[in-house]
This record gives sequence, structure tokens and C-alpha cells, in this order.
Amino acid sequence: MASATKPQSTASGVFFEGETARNTRGLLRIIILCTIAATAVASRLFSVIRFESIIHEFDPWFNFRATKYLVQNGFYDFWDWFDDRTWHPLGRVTGGTLYPGLMVTSGAIWHALRAISLPVDIRNICVLLAPGFSGLTAFASYLLTSELSDSPSAGLLAAIFMGIAPGYISRSVAGSYDNEAIAIFLLVFTFYLWIKAVKEGSVMWGAFAALFYGYMVSAWGGYVFITNLLPLHAFVLICMGRFSPRLYVSYTTWYALGTLASMQIPFVGFLPIRSSEHMSALGVFGLLQLVGFTDYIRQQLPSKQFQLLLRTLVLVIFVVAFGLLVLLTVSGTIAPWTGRFYSLWDTGYAKIHIPIIASVSEHQPTAWPAFFFDLNMLIWLFPAGVYMCFRSLKDEQVFVVIYAVLASYFAGVMVRLMLTLTPVVCIAAAMALSQILDTFLVAGEPAEPIEAPSTKTNDAKDKTVPGIPEVLRSTKGPLVGIYSYMSKAMITGAVTCYLLLFVMHCTWVTSNAYSSPSVVLASRLPDGSQHIIDDYREAYYWLRQNTKPDAKVMSWWDYGYQIGGMADRPTLVDNNTWNNTHIATVGKAMSSREEVSYPIMRQHEVDYVLVVFGGLLGYSGDDINKFLWMIRIAEGIWPDEVKERDFFTSRGEYRVDDEAPPAMKNSLMYKMSYYNFDKLFPAGQAQDRVRGSRLPAQGPELSTVEEAFTSENWIVRIYKVKDLDNLGRSHQDAGAFEKGNKKKKAGKRKGARVLRVD
Amino acid sequence: MRFTLLGLLLGFLGIVSALSATGSSLLVIIEEEADKSKYSQFWADLQGRGYEITYRSPKDTNLSLFLHGEPAYSHLLLLPPKSKGLGPNLTPNLLVDFINGGSNILLALSAEQAVPTAINSLLLELDINLPSDRTSLVVDHLAYDLTSSAEKHDVLLIPSAEPKKGVVDFFSVDGLVAFPRAVGQVLGNASPMLSSIVKAGASAYIYNPKEETEGVEDPFATGSQINIVSAFQARNSARFTVLGSSEALQDTWFDAKVRLPGTDYKAGKTSNKEFAQRLSEWAFKEIGVLRVEQVQHSLDEDTKDINPKIYRVKNDVRYSIEISEWDVDQWIPFNPPTGDAVQLEFSMLSPFHRLSLNSSPSTTNKDATAFSTTFRTPDQHGIFNFYVEYRRPFFTAIEDKQTVTVRHFAHDEFPRSYEISAAWPWISGIWVTIGGWLAFVAIWLYSKPTRDNKPASAKK
Repeated sequence: MASATKPQSTASGVFFEGETARNTRGLLRIIILCTIAATAVASRLFSVIRFESIIHEFDPWFNFRATKYLVQNGFYDFWDWFDDRTWHPLGRVTGGTLYPGLMVTSGAIWHALRAISLPVDIRNICVLLAPGFSGLTAFASYLLTSELSDSPSAGLLAAIFMGIAPGYISRSVAGSYDNEAIAIFLLVFTFYLWIKAVKEGSVMWGAFAALFYGYMVSAWGGYVFITNLLPLHAFVLICMGRFSPRLYVSYTTWYALGTLASMQIPFVGFLPIRSSEHMSALGVFGLLQLVGFTDYIRQQLPSKQFQLLLRTLVLVIFVVAFGLLVLLTVSGTIAPWTGRFYSLWDTGYAKIHIPIIASVSEHQPTAWPAFFFDLNMLIWLFPAGVYMCFRSLKDEQVFVVIYAVLASYFAGVMVRLMLTLTPVVCIAAAMALSQILDTFLVAGEPAEPIEAPSTKTNDAKDKTVPGIPEVLRSTKGPLVGIYSYMSKAMITGAVTCYLLLFVMHCTWVTSNAYSSPSVVLASRLPDGSQHIIDDYREAYYWLRQNTKPDAKVMSWWDYGYQIGGMADRPTLVDNNTWNNTHIATVGKAMSSREEVSYPIMRQHEVDYVLVVFGGLLGYSGDDINKFLWMIRIAEGIWPDEVKERDFFTSRGEYRVDDEAPPAMKNSLMYKMSYYNFDKLFPAGQAQDRVRGSRLPAQGPELSTVEEAFTSENWIVRIYKVKDLDNLGRSHQDAGAFEKGNKKKKAGKRKGARVLRVD
Repeated sequence: MRFTLLGLLLGFLGIVSALSATGSSLLVIIEEEADKSKYSQFWADLQGRGYEITYRSPKDTNLSLFLHGEPAYSHLLLLPPKSKGLGPNLTPNLLVDFINGGSNILLALSAEQAVPTAINSLLLELDINLPSDRTSLVVDHLAYDLTSSAEKHDVLLIPSAEPKKGVVDFFSVDGLVAFPRAVGQVLGNASPMLSSIVKAGASAYIYNPKEETEGVEDPFATGSQINIVSAFQARNSARFTVLGSSEALQDTWFDAKVRLPGTDYKAGKTSNKEFAQRLSEWAFKEIGVLRVEQVQHSLDEDTKDINPKIYRVKNDVRYSIEISEWDVDQWIPFNPPTGDAVQLEFSMLSPFHRLSLNSSPSTTNKDATAFSTTFRTPDQHGIFNFYVEYRRPFFTAIEDKQTVTVRHFAHDEFPRSYEISAAWPWISGIWVTIGGWLAFVAIWLYSKPTRDNKPASAKK
């Protein structure tokens, strides 16, 4: 805090002097920051107020379940947690395959509150963790921006931008208990510490950066962004000829300690020295040693010999290092690039090679309107802010430029990475806006109107002449147009309008787009009142209350975490998509005929199958619309048995009506979705409201599964898998016999009779 | 579950001193009262063994196999009806439900009357085929009874088959069993639930006396493919027995004198009475009923913690299962037939271990045999089953699944680094580095140049 107020006090030292004034401003600043934090928290509470204190979406349900496990069983059990209720029957080494930062944070808060006799339900801590940390993020961005800009208002603006920008709110509303909830705070704070370390060249700040980097690694897989951004910053600084002992000290401290810290996370383990994503950090570490060494030699040698030495040295080392990298990658010592990484560079890569990654909506490329939607006016202030960084290109400004370029690219590639772009946009926009305000807002000091232009000219000209009134008065004449009250008021008014609009936009977006729990769907009745569609929870609670505690539920992986969290039943696959084959197995069971699916379900001991069907309500996120991904993923493993082509009509259409191809009509998923659906309508008039097509007059028939439960609006349908037939017949035969169809007699068959051998 | 219920039932049955493991109520479907006396010896035998016999005609409108949705009788004996069908109370669907309810059926056929279509379609569901023309019977020109069927050769005299290795022998009797006018059955070759009790001789064939020529040209079945008596056990171990010749149970054949063609055999008494007793014993679950008593698994070194829910990879595990067998009036230790073994699978998706369980006399108590083994869990974590599935001909099925979790090594279960000799260079490397750094710092600080030649500040 004290360090943050320092630059501001020098910049506006003309107006306020003395220790008291500084303290007053410091207090004011704290009050403003607290208000910003409160605003950040408050704007994230829409969902709790509108609905209830509930965990949202999919991944948060797992995090919540893991947190409960941590709280109940303690840290060591959590660390060694083998989860036998997911990925049946493989299980999951959950303790070693998650980022524990989030759960440990909540657990620590829970224990801390208990220690001071405040027993709070762990669910409420989980629900409110993200808003709480968003307040901290606002504070962290204040610190970071204050390091970057001399302007007194930049930090505060960045804080409030960060506090309410929808790009960040989208992942941190109350109930959105995901890794990003704390990771963005850690990201911004680590950057702040890094900038501080580079600026001061201090081991302490570097160690703090490493500490928070370690925390970040424990919290989110997006830590790789830091792992690559900091080395890139260092590398660019070296290339700009700005190698300094400060850089050397801060980088080596951060790298050594940060890498060690990151290796303490079981999920990361030896990745920092083996995987390609981490090689740049190692490479820059090596480069820094070399540059430091040559720097030392240069001081010892005459310059001519030094030039020669340097050239050969650089060449040799580059060739050797590159060759070594290629060799290690080819030999497999360094893990090759992962698919997710490739898809960062080629947006079409995942679609062709890894359907499971492409099937996730948040891995899709960002649509252009999304930038404006998530960032509003910040997106056009952002380039201005980056330009401002070029004007005074110090080490820390270089960092912002690099961060801006990289994050813009990644945000364009993947919707999810909008999250990493948001902080830099907020910072840059705050710098730009504060520049404008600093230039014009001096009108806010009507007592000293003459002083106003003085600062302006100071900025515009040279900072070496701080306030010589005589000279400035003489130049007052030509500048009168810009410094009139009128123009000040206009600009100030315009900026205020923009800010107000921004606040309104952010509130609107938060309220309308990002505050739905997605577990509960809200719709409007004709009279405008809110109608809650609660089919998911209805179905999950049905499972919880009506099935054996170890009844295995098969569903598409999207619902795995929710079933585990809400229904507390073992699932076959879930949103932690670690085993593609297992997911493909479920995809195959869903997309095959019953006779093929049944043995698969038996083998995996499936008791219930859950499908999501939106045809009655017009809910478009249902399984029939996701069906193509199941087919594609299954085809990736069994190209001979499941073929995507078979599910399209001859004209290449994806249909569910009369003209649907046989593969489609016979698939388990289709049958389970539309089973008995025609009975809701007059004969032959069954209508699917999502696909907008009329269904066949004759509905599908099921033989190996039987309907167990259908929710109120038919969104969730649960089927029970039948046991083997008591008489050893196939279910189709048994069903036909039940209906009274006589079995065809074996009669006289052609060819040799197959004799029974006892 | 099934077996505990069974045991409960047994408790009640002990009072009535019945011999079946499942219950003593027996429903006999016989069309004419007059025919009842033909089987008097058989009824007397059954009653003597404790069965409460209810006789009903298929035409009886009050006849119902079910009471409150549960089977009303434990056993059903269907004698061939005179009329064409079995009526609305004995449709194939009801009979299947009766089996699914866990009750046993002994179906007797006769070539005297045409087999009802209802029976035919029921048998088809069990994968048992009867000749397409419904009056065919089995003839054997080499193994018929000279006394009674010198002309027609339709009374078969069949000795008990040689016992097979690994299959229990419940039906062997001394001497010949007469099967007059038998309906031959052909068993489907796919169903493992079917087994043959009595097969026709190699020279037998199925012949329709009403269509003289055609049957001989292309017989429905020949030789040992023809079954005279066959057995079906459903997945719930309900027994369905098909006896090709109902006459074999009649008094006339219980002590008839028969003679085989050829010189070797002299005229002798049939063993039908003994066979009928053996057959009804099996069909009504007096023998060959298995029960799981107790299943225990534990770590090999820690046998106190019985049936834990979780193991670790590479644990040594001991597993034992106690099985007893119902033998007419008591539970006795079960011993698999020679050449057979009870096997344990330790499986996840597919078996990782399939081990034959050993029984030792020391662990056998008075009514159950303990089968046990020890093995090491595979190096694969997951949700595993201790799975014993014992399905053998003539024994009721045993299926026991104990689900356990096999977890990975916890972080503190690996050997410490200093216990691994290969790690010593690395460990010493670490300490050398640390020591070197400390030494360097110490030397550096010691050799710091004194600035103002003041020893006080240098020391500070």
C-alpha cells in the first residue's frame, strides 16, 4: 500500500503537500478499494438471490464433492484419494490427478472459521469463494497497475474494471466453484510480484512470485500461461539488450523456486522438466546464465576478441541446445506436445484429431461479438492502453505488451481463454482512461484553475520542469481552447457517460447471461413471471432416493460430475475426460443397436442409463444434439463398428423423423430419447420441438432396458438395464413371447444339422 | 440373497419334515380322476417323502398357479392331458412366470396323445424341440421290450449311462428302465442350461406310426441326439424336467418283467420305480441344491479385518467361500465331482485371476466345505469383484460377487529414498550441493574485505 501510493504522491505533489494529506489520500484509497471489492462481490450474487445458494454447472460439482471429501477425511486421505465412484470400474486416482489448490483453500477457510467458532457449511464457503476472491483480484490488479502507471487513478480504475468486467464474472459468480475462481487472482498477483521483482531486482520479491506461482500451479492448469509468459518477457528483455542483474536475480529466483514448488503438486510431478510446454522456461533460464556469463567476460576481455567469442558461442550453444531439444523430443524423454496445445495453434486440429476436445463448447474459437459482450468499452480502450505502454517502454511496460499480444491471440482461439485476456484488458484500458482523466480532470480543482494547464504541459513537454508558473502563464494563450471549462466538462461528462454505460452493461450481462446455475433452468411464463424448470435435480434426487447406493449410472460424460455430486451414484464417465477409450465405450453403447449395447452395459455393470432429452420443452442442449460427438468419439476407437456416415441420410442430413437412417433409429440413444414420446400426442403428430420435425407414427421399442423415471418436462429420462433373461433367451425373444408371438419352430433346416455334444 | 431366503424357507419346512429344499406343496395336473390310480405307487412314494399333493384337472376353472402374484405351489407335475390343450390357466406365459417365480415343473409327455401346442411353444422357449408331427414316438429295433412290444418296438429299455467325468451322477440305477411310447426331445446346442438325463440308444430314431413312409426317409432325429428325459435349470435355479414317457411312472411299469432282444439279457424286473424316485427327487430339488454359507476375504497377513472394502495393488489376499449341499433331508459339505473345481475370478471388466479353490478337511465343518485360496492383487487399480460362478449340470447355480476397491499406492507407501541403493548418488549429490553452497557462503562471508580496516564492523 505504501509503495503504491508513492508514485502518485510525486505526480500530484503540486496539489497536496505534507504528511497529513498523504495519509488522508491513503485512507481514501483504502476506502475506495474496499468499496470496489464490495461491488465486485455484490455483483456476483445475482444467482444466489435469484435462485439459491447452489453449486453451478458441471465442474464445480466435482470440486464441491472433492472439497467435502477433504473436509471429512483430512488432507492426507485427500492426497491419496482413490475415487471408486467415478469411471466405474476403473476408478480414478483423484488425489493425484487434480489441482488441489481450490479445495485446500476452501478447506483452510472452513477450518479457520471453525477455529474462531464460526461453523459455516462447507457448501456456503464453496459458493461464495469465487466472489470473495474476485475482491482480492480487484485489489491485485490495483497493485499491478500502480506498478505500471504513474497515474494516481489508473490503479483504481483497473481495480473497478477488473471487479465488474463480465469476462471475469463469467467464471466467478457465486456458485461457480471452479479453479478459475482463485486462479485469476493468483495470476494477477503473481504478475504483480514478478513486475515488482524485475523492477527491484530483489530475491525476496522473486521468491514471493515463485511462492504464488506455486499456489497458482496447485490451483489451475492455466499456470502454463505464466510459465511461458515470464520467460518470454525475460527473453524479449534480453533481445532488447536490457539484460541486467535485476532481471538475472529475479528470473533465476523465480524459476528455481517456482519449478520446485510446482513439482510438489502430484498432478504436475515431473512435467516441468519433461514436457515441451515447460521447456521455454528452462531454455530462458539457461540463456540467462549464458548472457550473465558473457556479460562477465565482456568486462574482462577487450571488445574485439569478445565479439568473436560471443558470435561463435551463441551459434554453438544455439545449435547444441536446439539439437538436444529435438533429440529428446523424438526419443520421448520430453513429452510431445499435447493435443490441447496443438489446438491452440490450429483451431481445426482438434476437430479432426481429438473429437473429445473439440466437443467441449468452451474450447471453440471465440466469436467476435463475444469480445464486446464480455469487455464492452474496455476492448476499444485496450489498444490505446497498449500504445501508452510503448510510449514509456520500461521493463514492466514490455511485459504488458507481451501479455496483451499473447492473451489476445489465445482469447481468439478458445472461448475459455477470454479469462486470461480480461486482466490485461482491464489494466491497459485503465491506463488509457486514467491518461485521459489526468489530462482533463484537473477541472475538478476549481480553486486553482491556473495550475491546471501546468501539469498538462508538464506531461506534454518534459518532466524536468515541475511547475514554473511564469513560463506557463506565457504559454497559456495558444492553449486556451483545450483547457476551457467547457471542453473539460465535455470530456469528463463523456467519460462519465461511458463509465456509467459500462457499469450498466456489466450489470446487465452479469444478471442475464452469467448468473444462471444451469442446473436449474429459468423460463418466463406468458404473464412475465418466472418459471423454474428443475428437472435435473428432480431426476438426480430420484436416483438418490430410489436406487441402491452402488447402482452404476451410465450417461454421457457431461452429466458425470452432477450425478456424482447430486445423486451420489457411481458413474462410468465424467467431465474429467482422462480416459478417451472409456468415453468411447459409452459412446458406442449409446450409438449402437440394443443387441450390441447390452453386453457392453452388462460388462460395465450398468444399472441405470440416463439420457437428457429436450424434445418436449425445446431444450436444445440435449443428448440427441450431442449425439454426433458420441458417434465421432466412438468411431475414433471402433471405426469398423460405429460409422458417422451411417447416421446421416443419403443427402447428408441429420434427421430424427421418418427419414432418419436405420442406424439412427436403431441406436439406443434415439430409442431411449423418443421411447413413448408419441403417446403424449394424438396419433402420428408427435413433434420434436428442438429439431422441429415430426416423429415417426410408430415410436421405438425397447427390449433390454425399461423406463424407470422420466422427469416432469421429460428433460431427464432414466432407464433401468434389465437382468439377463431367466430362461436364457435374448431380450427380444423374451419380449416377443410375452406379447404372445409364437416362436418359429426350428423345422427342417437346410444343410447339415448341428448336433449337440454333451 | 436367494440362498438366505431359501434357508429361511427351510426353517419352516423343517417342521413339516419335507425333503425338498424349496417347499412341499405339489400340484399335479391330471385330467381324469380314473387315471390317478394308474400312478398310485408313485403318489404313495411322493406322499411318503412328505409332499402335500393337490390334484387338479386342467379344465378346473378355479385352478390358479399363483396366489397374490406369487407361485401358489412349489412344484408342478404336468401329466399329458387327454384334450388338445391345457386351458387358459396353464398357458405357456403362466408356466414361464411360474418358473420365473422359482418353482419347479416336471412335465411328462406321452405319444399316446398329441402333444398340446401350448406345451410345444413352451418347450421352444427353453430351446427343446419336439418332433413336428405331434404323434411321433421313439422306436429302437435293437433295444425294445420283447414282452410288451414285440411288434411295434416302441417300449424302449435303456440302461443308465456311464457317469461322465466332472458331472455329478444323480440318476444311475441298476438294470433297465422302460420308457413306453416316449416322445423324443432334441435339445438346442446353444443353451448351457439344458442337460440330458436319459438319451436314447444309438439305434433309436423318431418315427410317426401314422405316416408310415416319410418318417423313415428323413427322421426328425436319430440315435443319441434323441433325449427321453431332459432337464433345464433356469438362471434362478428353478428346475424344469421333461419326461418323454409318462407311462414310465405308472404302476404297470414299476415292476414289469421285460426282456431285451438278443441272448445276453434274460427277462428281468424294470428299475422304473427307483428311477422315478431319483427323477422326482432331483426335479423337486431334494438333491443337487447348493448354498453359499459364508464368504470371507482379507489380507493374508491380517486375517482379523474380515471383508474390508478396499485393498491396495499388490496386496496378498486370502479368499474363502463355504458351500453346502442339500441332500434329501440335511445340508452336507459340498464336494465338487471329481475332475471339477470351484473357481474364483478376480475381475475388473475381464478376469485378472482365475483360480481353482482348494478345500481342505481341516476347514470343513459338519455342513459346509470351505474353499479357499490366496493370491496377489494385480498391479492395476480399480473396482474389482471376487466372483464365484459355479454353474454345472444338475446343480443349482452359485453366483457370488463381492465388490472391492483396489487402490493405488499411497504417497507414504513407497520405499524411502535412502532404502533404494540406486538413489544414493542422487541423495549424496543433493547433500554435496547443499554442503558446498554452505561452505561457499561461509568462505565468502569470512573473506569479505574489510572496508575501513575496522575489525568491529567486519565482525558485525
